[in-house]
Amino acid sequence: MAEEIDLKAAINAVSDVVQNRPRPIREFDQIYMKTGDMVMQSEFVANWARGKRLAFIGDGDSISVCVAYLHARGILGYGPSLTTVFDFDERIVSAINRFADHERLENLQAVLYNCIDGLPLSKQYECFYTNPPWGASNNGASVNLFAQRGLEATRYCGEGMIVIADDPQLSWPQEVLYQVQAFTSNSGFYVSRMMPQLHSYHLDDAPDLRSCNLIIKARPTNIERLGSEPILDGARLDNFYGRDTTLRVRYVKEVKRLDYGRANEIEYAFELLGEAERQ
Amino acid sequence: MNIEPGAAILYMKVGTHAQENLETILERKRKEIEDSGYSMWGYGGNSCHPRTMVQPFARAAPGPIYLCMEPMQSSHLAEPIRAEEFSADGMNWHEIPAPINVLGSRYALCIDSLEDVDQNLDLAGTRVALGNSMGLNGGKYVRGRVDKACLEVVQLSSSEPRNVHIGLAAKLVEPYAVLLRT
Repeated sequence: MAEEIDLKAAINAVSDVVQNRPRPIREFDQIYMKTGDMVMQSEFVANWARGKRLAFIGDGDSISVCVAYLHARGILGYGPSLTTVFDFDERIVSAINRFADHERLENLQAVLYNCIDGLPLSKQYECFYTNPPWGASNNGASVNLFAQRGLEATRYCGEGMIVIADDPQLSWPQEVLYQVQAFTSNSGFYVSRMMPQLHSYHLDDAPDLRSCNLIIKARPTNIERLGSEPILDGARLDNFYGRDTTLRVRYVKEVKRLDYGRANEIEYAFELLGEAERQ
Repeated sequence: MNIEPGAAILYMKVGTHAQENLETILERKRKEIEDSGYSMWGYGGNSCHPRTMVQPFARAAPGPIYLCMEPMQSSHLAEPIRAEEFSADGMNWHEIPAPINVLGSRYALCIDSLEDVDQNLDLAGTRVALGNSMGLNGGKYVRGRVDKACLEVVQLSSSEPRNVHIGLAAKLVEPYAVLLRT
Protein backbone atom coordinates (compact mmCIF):
# COMPACT_ATOMS: atom_id res chain seq x y z
CA MET A 1 0.00 0.00 0.00
CA ALA A 2 1.32 3.45 -0.92
CA GLU A 3 2.51 5.66 1.91
CA GLU A 4 0.46 8.76 2.59
CA ILE A 5 2.10 12.08 1.77
CA ASP A 6 1.32 15.49 3.20
CA LEU A 7 0.59 17.17 -0.13
CA LYS A 8 0.68 20.71 1.21
CA ALA A 9 4.07 20.12 2.81
CA ALA A 10 5.33 18.54 -0.43
CA ILE A 11 4.15 21.46 -2.58
CA ASN A 12 5.67 23.98 -0.17
CA ALA A 13 8.96 22.08 -0.18
CA VAL A 14 9.04 22.09 -3.98
CA SER A 15 8.19 25.78 -3.82
CA ASP A 16 11.38 26.30 -1.76
CA VAL A 17 13.34 24.56 -4.51
CA VAL A 18 11.70 26.53 -7.32
CA GLN A 19 12.50 29.77 -5.48
CA ASN A 20 16.17 28.76 -5.45
CA ARG A 21 16.51 27.97 -9.18
CA PRO A 22 18.26 30.29 -11.62
CA ARG A 23 16.17 31.53 -14.50
CA PRO A 24 16.28 29.29 -17.55
CA ILE A 25 18.32 30.07 -20.67
CA ARG A 26 16.11 29.02 -23.51
CA GLU A 27 18.95 28.81 -26.02
CA PHE A 28 20.21 25.75 -24.16
CA ASP A 29 16.80 24.15 -23.94
CA GLN A 30 16.54 24.97 -20.26
CA ILE A 31 12.78 24.62 -20.04
CA TYR A 32 11.33 24.10 -16.60
CA MET A 33 8.72 21.54 -15.68
CA LYS A 34 5.52 22.87 -14.15
CA THR A 35 5.42 22.73 -10.38
CA GLY A 36 2.56 20.25 -9.99
CA ASP A 37 4.36 17.81 -12.24
CA MET A 38 7.58 18.39 -10.29
CA VAL A 39 5.88 17.29 -7.09
CA MET A 40 4.58 14.08 -8.68
CA GLN A 41 7.83 13.41 -10.52
CA SER A 42 9.93 13.93 -7.40
CA GLU A 43 7.87 11.43 -5.46
CA PHE A 44 8.17 8.92 -8.27
CA VAL A 45 11.94 9.37 -8.62
CA ALA A 46 12.45 9.15 -4.84
CA ASN A 47 10.62 5.84 -4.78
CA TRP A 48 12.30 4.50 -7.92
CA ALA A 49 15.79 5.33 -6.62
CA ARG A 50 15.17 4.57 -2.95
CA GLY A 51 18.36 3.52 -1.18
CA LYS A 52 20.42 3.82 -4.39
CA ARG A 53 23.17 6.10 -5.62
CA LEU A 54 21.62 8.36 -8.27
CA ALA A 55 23.41 10.46 -10.92
CA PHE A 56 21.61 13.33 -12.64
CA ILE A 57 23.01 14.07 -16.09
CA GLY A 58 21.93 17.71 -16.20
CA ASP A 59 19.16 19.02 -13.98
CA GLY A 60 17.82 22.50 -14.69
CA ASP A 61 14.45 21.55 -13.21
CA SER A 62 16.03 20.75 -9.82
CA ILE A 63 14.22 17.43 -9.49
CA SER A 64 17.38 16.21 -7.73
CA VAL A 65 16.98 18.88 -5.05
CA CYS A 66 13.26 18.19 -4.65
CA VAL A 67 13.93 14.48 -4.16
CA ALA A 68 16.70 15.03 -1.60
CA TYR A 69 14.80 17.77 0.21
CA LEU A 70 11.50 15.91 0.41
CA HIS A 71 13.36 12.94 1.86
CA ALA A 72 15.47 14.96 4.29
CA ARG A 73 12.39 16.80 5.59
CA GLY A 74 10.60 13.51 6.19
CA ILE A 75 7.83 14.41 3.75
CA LEU A 76 8.84 11.28 1.86
CA GLY A 77 10.04 8.30 3.84
CA TYR A 78 12.30 7.19 1.03
CA GLY A 79 14.84 8.51 -1.43
CA PRO A 80 18.25 7.85 -2.94
CA SER A 81 21.21 7.30 -0.61
CA LEU A 82 23.36 9.70 -2.63
CA THR A 83 22.61 12.13 -5.44
CA THR A 84 25.20 13.75 -7.69
CA VAL A 85 24.20 16.28 -10.33
CA PHE A 86 26.44 16.85 -13.35
CA ASP A 87 25.53 20.10 -15.14
CA PHE A 88 27.35 22.53 -17.44
CA ASP A 89 25.62 25.60 -15.99
CA GLU A 90 27.53 26.91 -12.99
CA ARG A 91 24.45 28.84 -11.89
CA ILE A 92 22.59 25.55 -11.53
CA VAL A 93 25.53 23.79 -9.88
CA SER A 94 26.00 26.61 -7.39
CA ALA A 95 22.28 26.88 -6.67
CA ILE A 96 22.13 23.17 -5.84
CA ASN A 97 25.24 23.24 -3.67
CA ARG A 98 24.06 26.40 -1.87
CA PHE A 99 20.67 24.85 -1.19
CA ALA A 100 22.24 21.57 -0.05
CA ASP A 101 24.53 23.50 2.29
CA HIS A 102 21.76 25.68 3.66
CA GLU A 103 19.39 22.78 4.25
CA ARG A 104 22.12 20.35 5.36
CA LEU A 105 21.38 17.90 2.56
CA GLU A 106 24.58 15.96 2.99
CA ASN A 107 23.83 13.34 0.36
CA LEU A 108 23.30 15.89 -2.45
CA GLN A 109 26.11 17.49 -4.45
CA ALA A 110 26.51 19.10 -7.87
CA VAL A 111 29.54 19.13 -10.17
CA LEU A 112 30.31 21.39 -13.14
CA TYR A 113 30.49 19.12 -16.16
CA ASN A 114 29.73 19.21 -19.90
CA CYS A 115 28.59 15.97 -21.48
CA ILE A 116 31.07 16.38 -24.36
CA ASP A 117 33.78 15.51 -21.80
CA GLY A 118 34.39 12.17 -20.17
CA LEU A 119 32.31 11.80 -17.02
CA PRO A 120 34.47 12.33 -13.88
CA LEU A 121 33.58 9.15 -12.01
CA SER A 122 34.91 8.48 -8.57
CA LYS A 123 32.13 6.12 -7.65
CA GLN A 124 29.56 3.90 -9.32
CA TYR A 125 25.94 4.93 -9.46
CA GLU A 126 23.12 2.44 -9.51
CA CYS A 127 20.77 4.63 -11.48
CA PHE A 128 20.69 7.83 -13.49
CA TYR A 129 18.14 10.47 -14.42
CA THR A 130 18.26 12.84 -17.36
CA ASN A 131 15.92 15.38 -18.93
CA PRO A 132 18.19 16.43 -21.82
CA PRO A 133 17.74 18.65 -24.90
CA TRP A 134 15.02 16.71 -26.70
CA GLY A 135 16.73 16.30 -30.03
CA ALA A 136 13.99 17.58 -32.35
CA SER A 137 16.56 18.54 -34.96
CA ASN A 138 19.14 15.79 -34.57
CA ASN A 139 17.01 12.65 -34.34
CA GLY A 140 17.67 12.33 -30.64
CA ALA A 141 21.49 12.47 -30.84
CA SER A 142 21.56 14.97 -27.97
CA VAL A 143 19.35 12.68 -25.88
CA ASN A 144 21.60 9.75 -26.66
CA LEU A 145 24.71 11.63 -25.56
CA PHE A 146 23.17 12.44 -22.18
CA ALA A 147 21.89 8.85 -21.93
CA GLN A 148 25.36 7.54 -22.76
CA ARG A 149 26.81 9.48 -19.82
CA GLY A 150 24.11 8.02 -17.62
CA LEU A 151 24.89 4.49 -18.77
CA GLU A 152 28.56 5.15 -18.04
CA ALA A 153 27.68 6.40 -14.55
CA THR A 154 26.08 3.01 -13.87
CA ARG A 155 28.95 1.19 -15.60
CA TYR A 156 26.27 -0.23 -17.88
CA CYS A 157 24.79 -2.25 -15.00
CA GLY A 158 22.04 -0.08 -13.56
CA GLU A 159 18.80 1.66 -14.39
CA GLY A 160 17.98 4.97 -16.00
CA MET A 161 15.08 7.38 -16.31
CA ILE A 162 15.10 9.42 -19.50
CA VAL A 163 12.59 12.27 -19.71
CA ILE A 164 11.88 13.21 -23.31
CA ALA A 165 9.18 14.67 -25.50
CA ASP A 166 6.12 12.55 -26.12
CA ASP A 167 3.40 13.76 -28.44
CA PRO A 168 1.47 11.39 -30.71
CA GLN A 169 0.54 14.29 -33.03
CA LEU A 170 4.15 15.07 -33.92
CA SER A 171 6.54 12.89 -35.87
CA TRP A 172 9.83 13.98 -34.34
CA PRO A 173 9.17 12.88 -30.75
CA GLN A 174 8.18 9.45 -32.03
CA GLU A 175 11.35 9.23 -34.10
CA VAL A 176 13.42 10.35 -31.10
CA LEU A 177 11.74 7.75 -28.89
CA TYR A 178 12.67 5.12 -31.45
CA GLN A 179 16.27 6.34 -31.73
CA VAL A 180 16.74 6.45 -27.96
CA GLN A 181 15.29 3.00 -27.49
CA ALA A 182 17.50 1.69 -30.29
CA PHE A 183 20.59 3.32 -28.76
CA THR A 184 19.97 2.05 -25.26
CA SER A 185 19.04 -1.37 -26.60
CA ASN A 186 22.34 -1.52 -28.49
CA SER A 187 24.03 -0.56 -25.24
CA GLY A 188 22.56 -3.55 -23.42
CA PHE A 189 19.50 -1.96 -21.83
CA TYR A 190 15.81 -2.66 -22.24
CA VAL A 191 12.74 -0.49 -21.62
CA SER A 192 11.32 -1.64 -18.31
CA ARG A 193 8.58 0.99 -18.13
CA MET A 194 7.18 3.82 -20.20
CA MET A 195 4.95 6.51 -18.67
CA PRO A 196 3.52 8.48 -21.62
CA GLN A 197 2.63 12.19 -21.85
CA LEU A 198 3.23 12.83 -18.19
CA HIS A 199 4.77 16.26 -17.67
CA SER A 200 4.08 19.76 -18.96
CA TYR A 201 6.44 22.71 -19.13
CA HIS A 202 6.79 26.46 -19.13
CA LEU A 203 7.13 26.31 -22.90
CA ASP A 204 5.53 29.29 -24.58
CA ASP A 205 6.11 28.09 -28.15
CA ALA A 206 4.70 24.60 -27.55
CA PRO A 207 2.48 24.85 -24.47
CA ASP A 208 0.80 21.49 -25.08
CA LEU A 209 3.98 19.46 -25.55
CA ARG A 210 4.37 16.75 -22.90
CA SER A 211 7.23 14.52 -21.89
CA CYS A 212 7.32 10.91 -20.79
CA ASN A 213 9.40 8.85 -18.39
CA LEU A 214 11.29 6.25 -20.37
CA ILE A 215 12.75 3.88 -17.81
CA ILE A 216 15.49 1.52 -18.88
CA LYS A 217 17.29 -1.30 -17.14
CA ALA A 218 20.51 -3.20 -17.84
CA ARG A 219 20.24 -6.74 -19.12
CA PRO A 220 21.08 -9.19 -16.32
CA THR A 221 23.97 -10.49 -18.43
CA ASN A 222 25.66 -7.06 -18.79
CA ILE A 223 29.30 -6.97 -17.78
CA GLU A 224 30.59 -3.92 -15.93
CA ARG A 225 32.25 -1.39 -18.26
CA LEU A 226 34.49 1.29 -16.83
CA GLY A 227 35.57 4.63 -18.20
CA SER A 228 34.12 7.56 -20.06
CA GLU A 229 35.73 9.27 -23.02
CA PRO A 230 35.28 12.79 -24.45
CA ILE A 231 33.27 13.18 -27.63
CA LEU A 232 35.65 13.74 -30.53
CA ASP A 233 33.13 13.25 -33.33
CA GLY A 234 31.85 16.76 -34.00
CA ALA A 235 28.91 15.39 -35.99
CA ARG A 236 27.32 14.24 -32.73
CA LEU A 237 27.16 17.87 -31.62
CA ASP A 238 25.49 19.22 -34.77
CA ASN A 239 21.99 20.65 -34.25
CA PHE A 240 22.42 19.94 -30.55
CA TYR A 241 20.03 22.58 -29.23
CA GLY A 242 17.97 22.82 -32.43
CA ARG A 243 18.48 23.09 -36.17
CA ASP A 244 21.77 24.77 -37.00
CA THR A 245 22.43 25.33 -33.29
CA THR A 246 25.64 23.47 -32.57
CA LEU A 247 26.94 22.99 -29.06
CA ARG A 248 29.52 25.78 -28.72
CA VAL A 249 29.51 26.67 -25.02
CA ARG A 250 31.46 24.46 -22.62
CA TYR A 251 30.19 26.08 -19.44
CA VAL A 252 27.71 28.74 -18.46
CA LYS A 253 29.63 30.58 -15.76
CA GLU A 254 27.85 32.25 -12.90
CA VAL A 255 28.27 35.97 -12.39
CA LYS A 256 28.83 35.95 -8.63
CA ARG A 257 26.63 38.18 -6.53
CA LEU A 258 26.60 38.95 -2.84
CA ASP A 259 22.83 39.36 -2.83
CA TYR A 260 22.05 35.98 -4.41
CA GLY A 261 18.38 35.09 -4.23
CA ARG A 262 17.25 38.67 -3.72
CA ALA A 263 15.91 41.21 -6.21
CA ASN A 264 18.79 42.50 -8.29
CA GLU A 265 19.52 46.17 -7.70
CA ILE A 266 19.48 46.87 -11.43
CA GLU A 267 15.78 45.91 -11.44
CA TYR A 268 14.57 48.78 -9.30
CA ALA A 269 15.24 52.23 -7.88
CA PHE A 270 13.79 54.01 -4.84
CA GLU A 271 11.68 57.12 -5.13
CA LEU A 272 12.00 58.69 -1.67
CA LEU A 273 9.39 60.49 0.35
CA GLY A 274 9.79 64.25 0.42
CA GLU A 275 11.17 66.04 3.49
CA ALA A 276 7.74 67.23 4.59
CA GLU A 277 6.20 63.79 4.23
CA ARG A 278 8.80 62.25 6.52
CA GLN A 279 8.01 64.59 9.41
CA MET B 1 5.09 38.78 -52.16
CA ASN B 2 4.00 35.50 -53.66
CA ILE B 3 2.98 32.70 -51.31
CA GLU B 4 3.37 29.38 -53.09
CA PRO B 5 3.57 25.81 -51.79
CA GLY B 6 7.13 25.25 -50.62
CA ALA B 7 7.57 28.87 -49.52
CA ALA B 8 8.95 29.66 -46.09
CA ILE B 9 7.16 32.45 -44.25
CA LEU B 10 7.26 33.99 -40.84
CA TYR B 11 3.71 34.65 -39.70
CA MET B 12 3.03 37.21 -37.00
CA LYS B 13 0.05 39.03 -35.56
CA VAL B 14 0.82 42.73 -35.21
CA GLY B 15 -0.81 45.65 -33.47
CA THR B 16 -0.04 48.12 -30.74
CA HIS B 17 3.44 47.46 -29.34
CA ALA B 18 4.98 49.01 -26.26
CA GLN B 19 2.07 51.47 -26.08
CA GLU B 20 2.65 52.66 -29.66
CA ASN B 21 -0.12 52.08 -32.21
CA LEU B 22 0.53 50.19 -35.43
CA GLU B 23 0.15 53.19 -37.74
CA THR B 24 2.84 55.10 -35.86
CA ILE B 25 5.15 52.10 -35.82
CA LEU B 26 4.75 51.60 -39.57
CA GLU B 27 5.48 55.23 -40.31
CA ARG B 28 8.60 55.09 -38.14
CA LYS B 29 9.87 51.81 -39.61
CA ARG B 30 9.39 52.97 -43.20
CA LYS B 31 11.40 56.07 -42.42
CA GLU B 32 14.15 53.89 -40.94
CA ILE B 33 14.28 51.79 -44.12
CA GLU B 34 14.39 54.94 -46.20
CA ASP B 35 17.22 56.40 -44.11
CA SER B 36 19.31 53.31 -43.34
CA GLY B 37 18.34 50.78 -45.99
CA TYR B 38 16.94 48.44 -43.37
CA SER B 39 15.05 48.38 -40.12
CA MET B 40 14.56 46.20 -37.07
CA TRP B 41 11.07 44.93 -36.29
CA GLY B 42 10.85 44.28 -32.55
CA TYR B 43 9.03 41.32 -31.04
CA GLY B 44 9.22 38.78 -28.23
CA GLY B 45 8.40 35.13 -27.49
CA ASN B 46 10.31 31.93 -28.05
CA SER B 47 8.31 30.55 -30.98
CA CYS B 48 10.53 32.77 -33.14
CA HIS B 49 13.69 32.92 -31.06
CA PRO B 50 16.37 34.60 -33.22
CA ARG B 51 19.12 32.01 -32.81
CA THR B 52 17.24 28.76 -32.39
CA MET B 53 14.35 29.44 -34.77
CA VAL B 54 14.51 32.37 -37.21
CA GLN B 55 18.17 32.22 -38.25
CA PRO B 56 18.29 28.47 -39.00
CA PHE B 57 14.88 28.72 -40.65
CA ALA B 58 15.99 31.56 -42.92
CA ARG B 59 19.33 29.98 -43.79
CA ALA B 60 17.64 26.75 -44.87
CA ALA B 61 14.87 28.44 -46.85
CA PRO B 62 14.80 27.95 -50.62
CA GLY B 63 14.24 31.65 -51.29
CA PRO B 64 13.68 34.94 -49.50
CA ILE B 65 11.76 34.82 -46.25
CA TYR B 66 8.76 37.08 -45.96
CA LEU B 67 7.33 38.28 -42.71
CA CYS B 68 3.58 37.98 -43.23
CA MET B 69 1.73 40.13 -40.75
CA GLU B 70 -1.89 40.01 -39.71
CA PRO B 71 -2.91 43.38 -38.26
CA MET B 72 -5.17 43.18 -35.23
CA GLN B 73 -6.54 45.30 -32.45
CA SER B 74 -4.47 44.76 -29.36
CA SER B 75 -2.94 46.39 -26.36
CA HIS B 76 0.69 45.91 -25.42
CA LEU B 77 1.70 47.54 -22.19
CA ALA B 78 5.46 46.92 -22.27
CA GLU B 79 7.54 49.96 -21.45
CA PRO B 80 8.79 51.70 -24.62
CA ILE B 81 12.45 51.30 -23.64
CA ARG B 82 14.86 51.67 -26.55
CA ALA B 83 17.25 48.77 -27.13
CA GLU B 84 20.81 50.08 -27.37
CA GLU B 85 22.62 46.98 -28.67
CA PHE B 86 21.93 43.99 -30.88
CA SER B 87 23.61 40.63 -31.35
CA ALA B 88 23.14 37.92 -33.94
CA ASP B 89 24.91 35.26 -31.86
CA GLY B 90 24.34 36.28 -28.24
CA MET B 91 28.05 36.89 -27.68
CA ASN B 92 29.15 39.74 -29.94
CA TRP B 93 27.14 42.90 -29.33
CA HIS B 94 26.94 45.99 -31.52
CA GLU B 95 25.41 49.41 -31.08
CA ILE B 96 22.09 49.89 -32.83
CA PRO B 97 22.47 52.76 -35.34
CA ALA B 98 20.94 55.99 -34.13
CA PRO B 99 18.23 56.22 -36.83
CA ILE B 100 16.83 52.83 -35.82
CA ASN B 101 14.69 52.63 -32.72
CA VAL B 102 13.39 49.33 -31.38
CA LEU B 103 11.20 49.84 -28.34
CA GLY B 104 10.06 47.41 -25.67
CA SER B 105 11.36 44.28 -27.42
CA ARG B 106 13.80 41.48 -26.61
CA TYR B 107 14.28 40.43 -30.23
CA ALA B 108 14.05 42.03 -33.66
CA LEU B 109 13.70 40.88 -37.24
CA CYS B 110 15.91 42.59 -39.82
CA ILE B 111 13.82 43.81 -42.75
CA ASP B 112 14.51 45.90 -45.82
CA SER B 113 10.96 46.43 -47.02
CA LEU B 114 7.56 46.97 -45.46
CA GLU B 115 4.59 46.85 -47.80
CA ASP B 116 0.84 47.00 -47.52
CA VAL B 117 -0.65 43.84 -49.00
CA ASP B 118 -4.11 42.35 -49.18
CA GLN B 119 -3.84 38.61 -49.16
CA ASN B 120 -5.43 35.61 -47.47
CA LEU B 121 -3.31 32.90 -45.90
CA ASP B 122 -4.74 29.52 -44.98
CA LEU B 123 -2.82 28.64 -41.84
CA ALA B 124 -4.21 25.11 -42.02
CA GLY B 125 -2.28 24.71 -45.27
CA THR B 126 1.02 25.35 -43.48
CA ARG B 127 3.12 23.48 -40.96
CA VAL B 128 5.63 24.50 -38.32
CA ALA B 129 9.07 24.31 -39.90
CA LEU B 130 11.32 23.65 -36.91
CA GLY B 131 11.57 23.51 -33.15
CA ASN B 132 9.56 21.60 -30.58
CA SER B 133 6.36 21.84 -32.61
CA MET B 134 8.00 20.93 -35.92
CA GLY B 135 5.50 19.33 -38.29
CA LEU B 136 2.40 20.56 -36.47
CA ASN B 137 -0.34 22.04 -38.63
CA GLY B 138 -0.01 25.84 -38.59
CA GLY B 139 -3.75 26.26 -38.06
CA LYS B 140 -3.56 24.23 -34.86
CA TYR B 141 -0.31 25.77 -33.71
CA VAL B 142 -1.21 29.44 -33.96
CA ARG B 143 -3.78 29.89 -31.21
CA GLY B 144 -4.00 31.32 -27.74
CA ARG B 145 -0.72 32.89 -26.72
CA VAL B 146 1.09 31.54 -29.78
CA ASP B 147 0.80 34.46 -32.20
CA LYS B 148 3.79 33.98 -34.48
CA ALA B 149 5.49 31.06 -36.18
CA CYS B 150 8.09 29.93 -38.71
CA LEU B 151 5.95 28.12 -41.26
CA GLU B 152 6.32 26.11 -44.45
CA VAL B 153 3.50 26.49 -46.94
CA VAL B 154 2.29 23.02 -47.87
CA GLN B 155 -0.82 23.91 -49.84
CA LEU B 156 -2.67 27.12 -50.61
CA SER B 157 -6.04 25.88 -49.49
CA SER B 158 -6.76 22.99 -47.18
CA SER B 159 -9.88 20.92 -46.60
CA GLU B 160 -10.49 22.61 -43.25
CA PRO B 161 -9.17 26.11 -43.93
CA ARG B 162 -8.25 28.62 -41.28
CA ASN B 163 -7.86 31.81 -43.23
CA VAL B 164 -6.18 34.89 -41.88
CA HIS B 165 -5.79 38.25 -43.57
CA ILE B 166 -2.24 39.34 -44.28
CA GLY B 167 -2.17 43.12 -44.44
CA LEU B 168 1.57 43.75 -44.26
CA ALA B 169 4.64 42.02 -45.63
CA ALA B 170 8.34 42.58 -45.13
CA LYS B 171 11.40 40.85 -46.57
CA LEU B 172 13.93 39.54 -44.07
CA VAL B 173 17.61 40.30 -44.65
CA GLU B 174 20.71 38.93 -42.98
CA PRO B 175 21.23 38.26 -40.14
CA TYR B 176 17.42 37.84 -40.22
CA ALA B 177 16.84 38.13 -36.46
CA VAL B 178 18.83 39.50 -33.55
CA LEU B 179 18.82 39.61 -29.76
CA LEU B 180 18.48 43.02 -28.14
CA ARG B 181 19.56 44.61 -24.88
CA THR B 182 19.53 48.02 -23.30
